[in-house]
Amino acid sequence: MRVFALSGLLLINLLFAHNAIAASIFAGQAKAAAVCSQCHGINRPSADAPFPSLAGRDAAYLKTALKQYRDKTRKSEIMNAMAGSLSDDDISNVATYYARLKP
Amino acid sequence: MNTKIKRLPQSVLILTCLLSFGAEGAPDTPKNMHQLFEDNCASCHGSDLGGFIAPALNADKLKGRSSTSLRSLIMTGSFDTLMPPFFGRLSDDEIRGLVKYLQSTPKLANPAWTIDDIKASIKVYVKDESTLPAKPTYQINSMDDVIGVAARGKYGRGAGSKAVFINSVTHKQIGEVATGTAAHIIDYNPANPRWAYVKTDTAEIFKIDLYSMQAVRSVKTGFNGPGLGVSRDGKYIMAGSFVPHNAVILNADTLEPLKTFELEGLDPDGKMVSSDSGMILGTPFDDIFAIALENAGQVWVVDLKEGFPVTKIEKVGRHLHDAFLTHGGRKLMIAAYDDNIVAAIDLKDRKIIKKLDAGCVPHVGGGAAVEVDGRTLGFGTNFGDCDKTVVSVWDLDKMEVVKQVPVAGGTESPAAHANAPYVAVDIISKDRRARTIQLIDKKSLEVVKTLDVGGHAYFPEYSADGKFLYVSAGYSGDEVVIYDSVSLEKVASLPMESPAGIFSHGRVRYMTRGLSPDEMKGAKP
Repeated sequence: MRVFALSGLLLINLLFAHNAIAASIFAGQAKAAAVCSQCHGINRPSADAPFPSLAGRDAAYLKTALKQYRDKTRKSEIMNAMAGSLSDDDISNVATYYARLKP
Repeated sequence: MNTKIKRLPQSVLILTCLLSFGAEGAPDTPKNMHQLFEDNCASCHGSDLGGFIAPALNADKLKGRSSTSLRSLIMTGSFDTLMPPFFGRLSDDEIRGLVKYLQSTPKLANPAWTIDDIKASIKVYVKDESTLPAKPTYQINSMDDVIGVAARGKYGRGAGSKAVFINSVTHKQIGEVATGTAAHIIDYNPANPRWAYVKTDTAEIFKIDLYSMQAVRSVKTGFNGPGLGVSRDGKYIMAGSFVPHNAVILNADTLEPLKTFELEGLDPDGKMVSSDSGMILGTPFDDIFAIALENAGQVWVVDLKEGFPVTKIEKVGRHLHDAFLTHGGRKLMIAAYDDNIVAAIDLKDRKIIKKLDAGCVPHVGGGAAVEVDGRTLGFGTNFGDCDKTVVSVWDLDKMEVVKQVPVAGGTESPAAHANAPYVAVDIISKDRRARTIQLIDKKSLEVVKTLDVGGHAYFPEYSADGKFLYVSAGYSGDEVVIYDSVSLEKVASLPMESPAGIFSHGRVRYMTRGLSPDEMKGAKP
């Protein structure tokens, strides 16, 4: 039973490893929809919104910025709170998702 | 793959904790705060603080709510709803001031908005209508192919708020008209295909020239309220409000108000109440308007003749809302939220025919009716705030329930077309199901397919030829998605800010969605 479960897990891991990019973009989109899109939009922010657009921004920049907001080394009352709920994986996924969107 | 989408994020809670250390400061007077409320909140929450498409916000309703959590909610918005984030749009002092004002102010009295106010609010954008082009300035085979989308805009106002018009054969946008605040309803003139009427959440009506895609006039009929109908001869419009409790008949050409009506009456429990306006419909059957008095549970039939006399049909149901027409427009099927019924009314005899079971909290949207094997079947959606989530199917000739079709959740609006095999319903339950549309086979009356549209998918509508199904992906989708109505393959998508209601120009020909235009032949005067 246990062996079966373990091998099943392994198989799933392998599958995911194989589709690493696809999986993280999907997860990034889901996380963006749940956490970021309310202000930044799922594609772009509202025409009237005071929030910056994230589509097409450099993935490495987005990751660094989110980690700084999370660590509070970069100050913003609202972004410190929002980024606080994100794991390293979340940050990586969300950054990859927005970076690949056409602005 | 089923990634779980988080509901209220922890971050909101964290923010709540963070903000409780902020400085206290209430700089403004109640008068200034009310203006701030009018300019940012009232289009959804109601000018009288009594709620409209969003909850009431007054001292009574907010009792026991912490000012810190309200402040956070205003800053971040609410993920599962239309509520946008006001961080960066309002200052912290303004948000604090608003919270204080709302927590200490009772629901306001019905504000006055008289026939003189309505008259004075008319704006003319095109003085001489004879200068307008004689035919559409864009390529289109038939004006029936025009589909209008009420784009709300993220904030329910501003640059994103407009009526967007699409050619439903090519799926290309043919025009858009800015509406200032969120467009709610689009209606078309049955007598002249060039005119459309758009009503906003702040009760302005824009008369739009579809040939040149511009507003020619506008009028403010109240503070809030979606009710709008056009008479069969295209000469009159009737508009009804939530705030204040009145309705008005306008000249459809000039938008001049002709008569106002105070909405009040004995409710089904014998209590005299002042009432919100529910649906308003013109009908191909007669020169009349039918209007629902939501709280009074009455339907009024207004004759379009000298003095606009009213026939009142009482005790129709508790908390009436929307309705659709059948039998050439002679019969009206109207939903009663609190009685869980749809009442059938004969507009000729002006009497209730029967009350039919309609699921939980019936909201029929624009309604749908289809002819199958010699029977005319009506479809009724409902919010489904109970254990049983079903779409009701009625035999509209016998006026009896045929089936209650189990669906995935609450529903708000059905779409059907004589040439399309499925009746589409939007699942609105507040979780992942909100992304979906379900399709009911007209013949088997069972759900045969679920479309994952994304966002908060609602307000399905077929193109006038029945070949395509349009769906709004709503406030978290920001696009209108178009499907082939038979294969259900996605064929196109149009980006738009918070799209909501979708209105095909074809509706003026088939009266109720799903019926063939032939159904109306016997009904013309």
